[in-house]
Amino acid sequence: MHASILILVIVAEIIGPIEIHLTESVEVSIMPLLYTMLLGLIFYLDKRITWIERKQARVAEGTMMLFIGVLISKLAISSGQSMHLIFDMGPALLLQEFGHLATILVALPIALLLGFKRECIGMTSSIGREPEVAVIVDKYGFNSQESRGIFALFIVGTIIGTVFISFLASLSVSILPLHPYAFAMASGVGSASMNAASLGPTLAAFPGMETSIEAFAGFSNLLSFSIGIYIVIFLAVPITERLYAFLEPKIGKKYIVKEKEDGENA
Amino acid sequence: MPDLIDGSQDVSVHGILNWIMLLGIFSVITVIGNYVGYKHPMADSLIGMAILSLITLAGVWMERKLPLNISSIIYISVMGILLAFPGMPTSKFVLHYVSQVELLSIVTVFLAYVGIGMGKSWEEFRALGGRAIIVTMLVIAATYYGSAVVAHIILTLTGVPAI
Repeated sequence: MHASILILVIVAEIIGPIEIHLTESVEVSIMPLLYTMLLGLIFYLDKRITWIERKQARVAEGTMMLFIGVLISKLAISSGQSMHLIFDMGPALLLQEFGHLATILVALPIALLLGFKRECIGMTSSIGREPEVAVIVDKYGFNSQESRGIFALFIVGTIIGTVFISFLASLSVSILPLHPYAFAMASGVGSASMNAASLGPTLAAFPGMETSIEAFAGFSNLLSFSIGIYIVIFLAVPITERLYAFLEPKIGKKYIVKEKEDGENA
Repeated sequence: MPDLIDGSQDVSVHGILNWIMLLGIFSVITVIGNYVGYKHPMADSLIGMAILSLITLAGVWMERKLPLNISSIIYISVMGILLAFPGMPTSKFVLHYVSQVELLSIVTVFLAYVGIGMGKSWEEFRALGGRAIIVTMLVIAATYYGSAVVAHIILTLTGVPAI
């Protein structure tokens, strides 16, 4: 398996980033990191590749715990180097954590319109990576509808999250006039791989600022996993509950209940 | 379903020798990718990866052995920040070698493993259907933009010059 990954990585690095110009000024860049991830997934799914099966997937999953450490220590070293900058930007770094609450306002109404019920509480209160899953399971119980919601979010996020946020970041840096540091901080909202995937296009878009962008992204990701959790527990979940109680009688769809059960028996 | 959140405690990756071996493999792959993609000299980036691996190993070991209930991510971050802190005797040495390893080279290798690990969730993913995908994309996009917009407003208010 490791040999296959070596080959994947070499091929991906040789191809290098591909830039697609949507219009004159808008471009989406596809980084080598996306090819390796997608090819890794294809290797697992392709039945002809018999040396990468469920057992290897478990090993790969277990090694992630170690390899994430390497990634985090690289980010930490960038942060240490730029510590003065991080102190200067303290307010922005802390307050952007509250920006995560935007998901409730946007996603909850849509989830209700799509016919989800209590699942919405788990699905739309946060970005749904491991720590948030733990919060919801702890509060509502493993077999609750709320937990089912966040499990769905977790699985879909695992598969498409990294690719999606990379496109999002790549598109955003070329069309939105926000501060480079704001993009850096925003890339830290989810898991470590989502952080890395959205950091790629951001680094490419602002050459010469690598260390400070890595520092902010790393630190913001660290905050998401520490302070962010308390925001989820004390703010996001209660706010989602309130908004749900307010909106559900108005726009909740009753007739879809039966169909909803078909879709949810995952 | 319990399968979902037990990834980090996987039985297949135990024992400090096993960790060292895996980190070694990971370092070699990263250094080769780093050479192919960015032309950084292999010897220097290998030392850089060795530093990063040692920090990781220490962090993971501390999580298991110290009686505090703190995740290895926190230990690793604190050690990394301290080692690179301007003025620390280690900072020059660490920065010189670690800067030879591009973050993106590490990520490219890391995500290959993630891709293979992800395969396990594929069936569950297919069963979830379009509505869950729409909601997930909205959640990610709204969280990302919420964070970016708030950060931008605060940065502007506190007078950080846009570069």
